[in-house]
Amino acid sequence: MEKLIIIKYGELSTKKDNINFFLKTLKQNISNSLSDIKNDITYDFGRMFVLVEESDLENTVDRLKNVFGIWQIIVGYKDTNLDIDAIKENILDLVKNKEFKTFKVVTKRSDKNYPIKSMDVSRIVGSYILKNISDVRVDVHNPEFLVEIEIRKGEVLYYFNGEAGLGGYPVGTLGKGLLMLSGGIDSPVAGYLAIKRGVKIEAIYFESPPHTSEAAKDKVIKLARVLVKYNTTVKLHVINFTHIQETILRNIPYEYLITIMRRMMYRISAIIAHNNKCNILINGESIGQVASQTLTSMRVINEVVKMPVIRPVACFDKLEIIDLAKRIGTYEISTLPYEDCCTIFVPDHPVINPSSIKASEYEELIPYKELIREAIKGHEVIYVGIDEDKEYEDIL
Amino acid sequence: MIYLDYSATTPVSYEVLDTISKVTKEFVGNANSIHALGQKSAKLLESATKQIADIFGVNASEIIYTSGATEANNMAIIGVAMAHHRKGKHIIVSKLEHPSVYAICDYLKSIGFSIDYVNNDSEGLIDFEDLKSKVREDTILVSICAVNSETGVRQPLKMIRQIIKKENIATIFHSDMTQAIGKVSVNFRDVDLASMSGHKIFGPKGIGFLYKSSMVKITPLIYGSGKSNELKPGTPPLPLIAALSKAVRLACADLEKRERFVSLLNEKIVSSLEKYPNIKINKTKYSIPHILNFSVMNVMPETLIHALDKYEIYVSTNTACASGEASLSVMAIYNDAKRSKHTIRVSLSHVTTTEEVNKFLNVFKEEYEKLSTVR
Repeated sequence: MEKLIIIKYGELSTKKDNINFFLKTLKQNISNSLSDIKNDITYDFGRMFVLVEESDLENTVDRLKNVFGIWQIIVGYKDTNLDIDAIKENILDLVKNKEFKTFKVVTKRSDKNYPIKSMDVSRIVGSYILKNISDVRVDVHNPEFLVEIEIRKGEVLYYFNGEAGLGGYPVGTLGKGLLMLSGGIDSPVAGYLAIKRGVKIEAIYFESPPHTSEAAKDKVIKLARVLVKYNTTVKLHVINFTHIQETILRNIPYEYLITIMRRMMYRISAIIAHNNKCNILINGESIGQVASQTLTSMRVINEVVKMPVIRPVACFDKLEIIDLAKRIGTYEISTLPYEDCCTIFVPDHPVINPSSIKASEYEELIPYKELIREAIKGHEVIYVGIDEDKEYEDIL
Repeated sequence: MIYLDYSATTPVSYEVLDTISKVTKEFVGNANSIHALGQKSAKLLESATKQIADIFGVNASEIIYTSGATEANNMAIIGVAMAHHRKGKHIIVSKLEHPSVYAICDYLKSIGFSIDYVNNDSEGLIDFEDLKSKVREDTILVSICAVNSETGVRQPLKMIRQIIKKENIATIFHSDMTQAIGKVSVNFRDVDLASMSGHKIFGPKGIGFLYKSSMVKITPLIYGSGKSNELKPGTPPLPLIAALSKAVRLACADLEKRERFVSLLNEKIVSSLEKYPNIKINKTKYSIPHILNFSVMNVMPETLIHALDKYEIYVSTNTACASGEASLSVMAIYNDAKRSKHTIRVSLSHVTTTEEVNKFLNVFKEEYEKLSTVR
């Protein structure tokens, strides 16, 4: 018997004509996440099979838990002996040390030439388990332990309760989006949720040196690195926002500072997105959280761009966002104490119901188109991969 | 020189020494400073801590640097006592702890805490039934070392944790892992708090850490400023921390292979000492091979140690922190007063050579046989 990992797909099973594209992408994503593990991946429309060395099994399962598009990860067994006596002996051997009170055997035959009907295989194996393990009974409706047998051409698979995968769609199957990544708690979570729906993300970060520090930028790189776990790599666009921000500060009424600043960020993001073939903008705005996230503010800010802006956490409570941030491992990084350019200059009383006419009038006071062009021209691109900074390897 | 007292302390390895000097020279900024020089130090601090956290499979924020295991034990035990005294004032420790744990318990007793000592069996293993019966509703802490410093007896921490948590889920479990880390594999997830010291693993003296699970709250013992850690404020000693991180990395590589080698040395010594009717080997099936304790019933151990001194062979009577006293651990296991007053501890490491062990055995034989005839 050979151990193998069986992957059951999530929502993919609702796809029809383009399912091959989804599966190919999933296979590629899995293969990327196992790049340093020797593996062999095969698939059909029902499931994917991953073969690795036994010593890599646990590590592989852990990696697969970070791959979107997987509903269940099951460690199963493959055998070429299709004799019913061998099947029931093998299964007894595998289950006798597991702890359960109720169980059920389910058999599938993709090879219909197999002489025993599926129901009969289940019955034979089930009664063999009953005879040989004491204190267990069959529960067909709500079994604690599920024994699954799959008879295929020339081989049989056995597997039991699997572990939950992340669900969602394989990353990249839905195209690209540009995540506005600030360093706060919300935007990394928004990015995670977009990735979950199959969107491959790039990220954009606005820095404002010397008002913001190098440490703040490092923090954003770290956040991007967490997302890399799900996204393979993150192309991070760093925009120097200092000149724009200072010009706004000097020329525009203080209560409109945030509104205008956000409008500039949206405009820049839309251009970067367009240049990098991203179809949407993604950000961590949550309705009502701060002055720039009232519905009026959102409308006035949003109207400067034409592409869709997806706000995955718009309807989440802050505590729900924090929970998710903790789960995906961004919370600890997000709460490091560095200012970002949205928090360094905050008016005491920002406008919560800005008017779009006023916003446009104020913007006419500064040469913003030129400033934007200048910011985009000099922007820095960082490819964030999974590997940490190995800068101090020689010392440590 | 033949050094056979690695459980008291170890020499600093050259690789670690390199790190100390390099970091001292090149990282002058305070890791708490916000300027670029300070940030350079902060980055190294972060990488060093992450390396330790990754090796033990925990989060970097769960590692708190201390001056060593004694401070870590204080931080853990007093910290829990202060933070949880409203829930109860009952603390359980084993009879096989490092003297620092007993000193802390004596202090806590003097301010109103009650301390219970859990029994162990004749193999040195914690008596599970006794532990079960001693954990009460007001038990806030159990502290049991991973490896006893005098006899090398190793405790099954996972099992102990299960027993404690089954009796009282709120009871916090601390383990002094000083003698275990770098010798045998440990799992921090078996405990809530763990202490260790760098100088036992070829790192510098004056640095160690406390692992504190993020789920556990303790009260700080030291107050000050600096953003690195609220439990240990002040300027982080970066050269020592970087050195500790490197020492941990080097110590935790090849654990099994090294353990097998040390086992061979241990067996060699045991088989040659076993021959003497007046030498009793204080070793149980749970002793790790790095620590070999025996009682020389017919010679005072101090006399033997001074006799070996002349040949530049260094072993100890019992744990260095309780030298000159009877071994409490040997007493706890064998319940024999004379046996516990006559102990000698030979502690080995993977850098010990077979030649060193042979030379030690030859000299020991000569000196011991000479001294045996004195009285």
